[in-house]
Amino acid sequence: MDSLIKLNNVDFSYGEDKNFILNNLNLEIERGSFTVVLGRNGSGKSTLAKLMNGLCKPSNDDGVVIVDGIDTKNEKTEIEIRRRVGMVFQNPDNQLVATIVEEDVAFGPENLGLTPQETRKRVDDALKAVGMYRYRKSTPHHLSGGQKQRVAIAGIIAMRPECLILDEPTAMLDPEGRDDVLDIITKFNREDGMTIVLITHFMEEAQFADRVILMSDGEIIKDGKPEEIFSDIKTLEDIGLDVPQTTGLLYKLKEKGIDITTDAISVEETAAKISAALHLEEN
Amino acid sequence: MSNIIEVKNLCYSYDGDAQIVKDAVHNVSFTVKSGEIIGIIGHTGSGKSTLIQHLNGLLKPASGEIIIDGKNIWDEPKKIKDIRFKVGLVFQYPEYQLFEETVFADIAFGPKNMGISGVDLTKRVEDICDIVGIKKEYLYVSPFDLSGGEKRRVAIAGVMAMQPKVLILDEPIAGLDPEGRKEILKMISKYREQFDATVIIVSHNMEDMAVLADRLIVMNEGNLHMYDTVYNVFTKSEELEGIGLSVPLVTKVLTSLKKKNSGIRTDIFTTDDAVEYLCSIAAGGRYA
Repeated sequence: MDSLIKLNNVDFSYGEDKNFILNNLNLEIERGSFTVVLGRNGSGKSTLAKLMNGLCKPSNDDGVVIVDGIDTKNEKTEIEIRRRVGMVFQNPDNQLVATIVEEDVAFGPENLGLTPQETRKRVDDALKAVGMYRYRKSTPHHLSGGQKQRVAIAGIIAMRPECLILDEPTAMLDPEGRDDVLDIITKFNREDGMTIVLITHFMEEAQFADRVILMSDGEIIKDGKPEEIFSDIKTLEDIGLDVPQTTGLLYKLKEKGIDITTDAISVEETAAKISAALHLEEN
Repeated sequence: MSNIIEVKNLCYSYDGDAQIVKDAVHNVSFTVKSGEIIGIIGHTGSGKSTLIQHLNGLLKPASGEIIIDGKNIWDEPKKIKDIRFKVGLVFQYPEYQLFEETVFADIAFGPKNMGISGVDLTKRVEDICDIVGIKKEYLYVSPFDLSGGEKRRVAIAGVMAMQPKVLILDEPIAGLDPEGRKEILKMISKYREQFDATVIIVSHNMEDMAVLADRLIVMNEGNLHMYDTVYNVFTKSEELEGIGLSVPLVTKVLTSLKKKNSGIRTDIFTTDDAVEYLCSIAAGGRYA
C-alpha cells in the first residue's frame, strides 16, 4: 500500500499526565483513500487527527508519525506537514479569522509565501470548488453554518493539501449544510484523489468511505469496510455507538424473522434489500 | 389545557449586512399548550434561535407580544429576570459556559440567583441530580474533568435546577455520540415528567423529532412556515426539501420503496413503526 500517513507504536498523553489517551497506536492511511473514524466522545479520535498533521506529537520516544516520508517530530519540517495535511474542525466560527470571505480563504496560501497572482488564483479556485465564489465579498459571520464551514474548507483547500482531515465538520450544521459539506469532500476524493480522513458521530456518513476505523478508549478496536463494521452491531453498541438508522431498520426486520441481510447504509441500498426480501417489485 | 405560551405577531430584525437578511423573524404567531413537547426545525439562519430567545426575554420584540402563563412578559420590564426562571433556556453547546470550580457550584448558580440558599439550595441541586442521573460523587469535582457528554448534562442540569415551567433547548444533542444523545434525551423526558414542564427543542435531527415531539414548528426565512402535528409536517416531504429540510431516514427508505411499489405507505417516521408496517406486509397483510 502507498501510505501517505503512518503511525507506529504511538502513545499520547497531554502534559505529564500518565493517563494515556492513545495507547500503542499503529495505523496507515493510504494515499487517495477515504477513511471514516468513529468512536465516542473522549475515545481519542480528535487526538489521532491532531497527531496526523503534527499538531500533537507522540509522547513516547519510539512512537513515530510519518507524513509523506516526513517525521512530524522534526519541528523544522512542520510547515511541510501542514502543506500536505489540512485540518477542518467542528465549529466554523472558530476557524474564520478575516472579515471578508476571500481574505479568510487567502490567509493560508499567503502564509505559504506564494505570489499574489498565485494566491488570487488559488482563492478563486477554492471558493468555486466549495460553491461559495459568489459570496467572496461577504462577511463570514453573516453566512449560515454550512456556508461558513464551506469557507473554512476553502481556506484549507487553497493550500492544496494532499490530505484533508475533518473533525466532526457537520456536527453543527443543518441537513442541507451537512449534505453540501459531504458532497464536497466526496468530490475532492473521487475527482481529485484527495486523501480524506473524516471523524464523525453520524454513522450514516460512513457510507461515503472505503474504510471505517472504530476507536474506543484510545485504541483502534476495528478496522474494515463500512459494511463489515456495521455488520457487527454488538461491538458498536458495546462501545456506545450505533448502526446507521437505515442499517438499524434492516437489523430489526431480521430480528422479526424476515430473511434479509443487513449490509446496506444508503437509503437506496436499504430500500433495495427490503424490496427484494418482501417481493415488493410490481410487475 | 391552557396555553402556557402565546406569541402574537412577533417581529424582530438584526441590523447589519443588507445583502443577507438572516435570523430575522417576521410576524410570527403561535400558542403552546402546557405540557406539550414542541420541536422547532428549520435550516440555519431561518430564525429559530432568534425566536426562542424572545421566549425568555433575552431579546425584546420590535413589535408583537410574548405572553407566558397569561402575562405579557414586557408589561413590567424590570421584572424580566423572573421570566428567565420560569422559562429556562439551554443554549447550543452549553458546556462551554461552565465556569465554576465544582459541578455543584455550577448547577447551583441559577437557583442561587433566584435567592435560594443554604440547605434549600443543596436540596435543589441534589434533587435535580437524582432526576437526571448525575452521580453524587461528581458534585465536588471540577466540571472540566468530565467528558464532553457529562459536561453537557451538568450544564443542562444547571438550567433545570431553576425548575422552569418551560424548558427550551437549542440543539441539545449536537456534537454528541449516539450514547450521549440518548442520555440527554432521557434526561429531558424525566425532567418533563417530574415537573409537568413544557418542552421546546430546536433540532436538526428529524428522527428524534419524530419520536419526541407532539407538534413541530417549521421556520423558513424568518416566517413560521408550518405549525402542525409531526404527522402533518413529515407527510409533506417535498415541501420540506424545498426549504432545505428533510424527513426522517426511514421515511426516505419508504419513499424509495414506493417507487418500486405504489402501494407502499410513506407516512411512517420512526424505525419501530416502519418495522411493524413492513412485517405486516411480509405476513401477507395489506399495504395500507
